[in-house]
Amino acid sequence: MPFHKTMYATSSYNQISMAKRKLVVFLVLAAANVFTAPAFAADRQWVLKQSTLTYHVSHPLHQTEGVSHAARGKGVCHDGQCEFLIAVPVKTFDSGDSNRDLHMIQVTRGAEFPMVTVRTRLPESGAASATVKADLEIQFAGQTTQYKQVQFQLVTQGNETRISGTIPATLADFKIDPPSLLTMPVKNDIPVRVEMTWGAE
Amino acid sequence: MNSKVKLSLGFGILLVFTLAANLVWGQEGGATASAQAKEAAEAQAPASPPAKPAENLPDAPSSSQTAPSLSELGFSKEETEANARQQALLDKRTHMLKIHQRMGLITAIPLVATVVTSMNAGGRDTSSASRDLHVALGSLTGDLYGITAYYAIRAPRVPGTETRGQIRLHKTLAWIHGPGMIMTPILGAMAFNEKNKGEKVHGIASAHGPVAIVTAGAFGAALLSVSVKF
Repeated sequence: MPFHKTMYATSSYNQISMAKRKLVVFLVLAAANVFTAPAFAADRQWVLKQSTLTYHVSHPLHQTEGVSHAARGKGVCHDGQCEFLIAVPVKTFDSGDSNRDLHMIQVTRGAEFPMVTVRTRLPESGAASATVKADLEIQFAGQTTQYKQVQFQLVTQGNETRISGTIPATLADFKIDPPSLLTMPVKNDIPVRVEMTWGAE
Repeated sequence: MNSKVKLSLGFGILLVFTLAANLVWGQEGGATASAQAKEAAEAQAPASPPAKPAENLPDAPSSSQTAPSLSELGFSKEETEANARQQALLDKRTHMLKIHQRMGLITAIPLVATVVTSMNAGGRDTSSASRDLHVALGSLTGDLYGITAYYAIRAPRVPGTETRGQIRLHKTLAWIHGPGMIMTPILGAMAFNEKNKGEKVHGIASAHGPVAIVTAGAFGAALLSVSVKF
């Protein structure tokens, strides 16, 4: 074969070999991309990272607050809608007085119904807003109560969202007999202050 | 067509195919994975409590298939299971301590009256009427105090509970007014006998007054410790 033809043939051969190598590499990478965890899945999950739940009880002689940091929560988003579940054991609320805490567990039937659970559904786009109104379904003391349009404030920092708000709970909503001190019962209103930090997964 | 163009076209088709496959198979795979994880979590979930009316069902699952369930949150079985025995213990404890509270408030009335009538019970006056009244009120106070103490002592304890807060002061003061309520009537009886003999109260019987005042003071402080915040 003439030299220039040989050279041309060699150059073409090198080009085709290079192209084949590139094709093989590309196919391997593409296959890996198909069978690994989907990068474009629509489902998104949220996990409760930190929480402070505070109930407030009013009595003519006493103003009492009980605090719990033991809540756990999870949110699953699908098709633009997120379903959240938050739960906290009743016995984790601490008012600073062990006798009062035991009475609280007794009157809320906390040994029989040990968990407070909150369920809600929010639009996924709500995470971008500064405030959101949520319909809550709360199970507590063996009762289920709905609270409509409870307002929460949202602050997003990076991959975390801080949510705060107050749930306007009452003793009557959960059929709890109002405890009394010196023959005077506590007020029916027991607002619960909620502060949570959620992380997206 | 140039071979380079053909190869580029081939790469482009493969890239489009790969992206499309990711979109389709990735969604289905994610949904399948989450459904499988949920089934596994449900299989490991603890036994549910006995059936109750729907509106009272704790932790009733949402009708949505994507909603998380309580078993996924990682609480222990001890934290989520109902304990009827514990509730019965707490109910009994609360019942007895309510009686204790009521009796304590009732006891405070004759206690104050006893202290007031002590003004005319001693001194140089040998009239027995004032002393008799003081003795009667003191006896009534002692009886009511005994009933009050009984309900506090016999109220069930909750195992594993650490005493915290103002209730600690309330319990500590019992170590002062408890022995005081025993010593005061004993010393009072001694003083009463000496007075009836026409003697001046002397010796250990003369401690009746100071012991009674300390006892009444501790009782009042104990009452305030569970009534007001300080």
